Amino acid sequence: MLLGEGKMGITIEKVSKNFGEYKAINNVYLEIPSGDFTALLGPSGSGKTTLLRMIAGLENLDSGRILFNDTDYTNKAVKERRVGFVFQHYALFKHMSVFDNIAFGLKVKPRHLRPSKEEIKEKVYDLLKFIQLEHLAERYPSQVSGGQKQRIALARALAVEPDVLLLDEPFGALDAKVRQELRHWLREIHEKLKITTIFVTHDQEEALEMADTIVVMNEGKVVQTGTPEEVYRRPVNEFVYRFLGRVNEVNGRYIRPHEVSLKRAPLGESFPAKVVHVHFIGSTVRIQLTRLDEDILFEAELNEEKYREIGPIAKGEFVYAQFTKLVDFDFQQKVKPLPQKESVL
Amino acid sequence: MFKKKKRHHQVLPAFGLSMGYTLVYLSLIVLIPIAFLFIKAAAISWDDFWSIITDRRVLASFQLTFSTSFMAAFINAIFGTLIAWILAKYQFTGKKIVDAIVDLPFALPTAVAGIALTTLYAPNGWIGRFFEALGIKVAFTPLGIMIALIFIGLPFVVRSVQPVLQELDQQYEEAASTLGANSLQIFMKIILPTIFPAILTGFSLAFARALGEYGSVVFISGNMPLKTEIVPLLIVTKLEQFDYVGAAAVAAVMLVISFILLFLINFWQWRISKKYETV
Repeated sequence: MLLGEGKMGITIEKVSKNFGEYKAINNVYLEIPSGDFTALLGPSGSGKTTLLRMIAGLENLDSGRILFNDTDYTNKAVKERRVGFVFQHYALFKHMSVFDNIAFGLKVKPRHLRPSKEEIKEKVYDLLKFIQLEHLAERYPSQVSGGQKQRIALARALAVEPDVLLLDEPFGALDAKVRQELRHWLREIHEKLKITTIFVTHDQEEALEMADTIVVMNEGKVVQTGTPEEVYRRPVNEFVYRFLGRVNEVNGRYIRPHEVSLKRAPLGESFPAKVVHVHFIGSTVRIQLTRLDEDILFEAELNEEKYREIGPIAKGEFVYAQFTKLVDFDFQQKVKPLPQKESVL
Repeated sequence: MFKKKKRHHQVLPAFGLSMGYTLVYLSLIVLIPIAFLFIKAAAISWDDFWSIITDRRVLASFQLTFSTSFMAAFINAIFGTLIAWILAKYQFTGKKIVDAIVDLPFALPTAVAGIALTTLYAPNGWIGRFFEALGIKVAFTPLGIMIALIFIGLPFVVRSVQPVLQELDQQYEEAASTLGANSLQIFMKIILPTIFPAILTGFSLAFARALGEYGSVVFISGNMPLKTEIVPLLIVTKLEQFDYVGAAAVAAVMLVISFILLFLINFWQWRISKKYETV
């Protein structure tokens, strides 16, 4: 609808960048196929934002190359890259109306490429309709809500028909409900436009829910790349496993709370535990327990069905817990060698 | 008369006391002396007042003062912004020294500045001789007056604009560049509108300062009636001749015009910032 040929794959080749002694990006190799919806996921300081800014050209590289469809873009100026960039804090121009913000990219085009006033107006109103904010065209950014600001920022980025859409923690500054809405909305937009999209997040739930591909980063390196299911079910190491969900650690081995089974009576290799806390989080029940034999705190999560099976559990009660599927990364690594950390794809 | 507009809770509940101090202070320091000026000027008849202020020599000095002050403030607005830009955006050796030099016109006694400038720009001075070779006279002309006024007004623009530039968030420039804007477009469309209210503040402060400037100008201007005589000097001349009423009349007119001009500039600035400041 709004975009022409959005076919743009990105290759990041042996890219490194230091800030002084600190290795922000450490020899990263990554291929992002055209039309993909990719999440760069990692804790703060993992280099994910730096990598995104490098793709946009907002940050220089110390070494390596960045290719857009096999063309070397490493030294290309930001304004020539045709990337749409959406900032965490929107970066809407405060002194311009919503209309002028969205029209900005069209108005700054060189004279021979610049659409006429009428064409600009038509295009901006198309975009406003697209983000369902036509009625706000004459408002100023200070007069609209956070969620609306982020939609306007996205419309502004789409106005110039970018080949790639880059979003830096796009929902980080919004409250939970608006964030949820915008996630669906952004996903829908991607379905419609098929534009190669990369977004940065530190929220594993957001990445799992939205992305086609998740790139897990830590300490300036790509740790794992794969579909949400792959990274969740087959994490390559302890870091990915821990980062993608809640974890109980048992003597260097791991188990997710929802995989802990609780029983009223001893069974197999179960051990007794005392209930410390019971939280009802919507449809799941999260229970904190202490192991009686080793005095270790751990967590169990039951869905409604399982909780009904075992019956109401109260603080102070005793139950039997079983760790059936403990994950051991040292063991895994010995058995089958993992692919190279930097080149997973 | 003075009421708090909104009754929302404040941590420090001292509106009454601080407003009272403000009024007393403003009255003693500003309002009462100015009121006396008008009372003094009102002591003569309207016809006498009119003939004093429409005297050729008085009109010439008004024109000279306002035009040179305006030009000086205008030039300061441009170059002051440039200096503020350098100080806010770049790191370089000797930056602290440059930063300190900017304040020098504040600290230097204006008479010292005037003598120094006159010495430099006189036809046989270090700088003046080059202008002389080009056939341009600086000292003892309106041009010289303007240079003195630029000197004393510079810090106002720099100190108004610099903090705004320092606070300027990089992300707006980055957003503009990802949208395809070049450096000039980013400056003209993004940065300039953001700092423009601060430039206007600096401009009006420099302009106001220049209107009242006396010390540095009297040396470099040469004080020729009808040619290089500024209003403050004319007032002093009248006082020296014990023409207190004449001095008060000229001063009152000067005050009213200055007030109107500053009010207009502030109104303009208020209009700009009102448009997009947080509501």
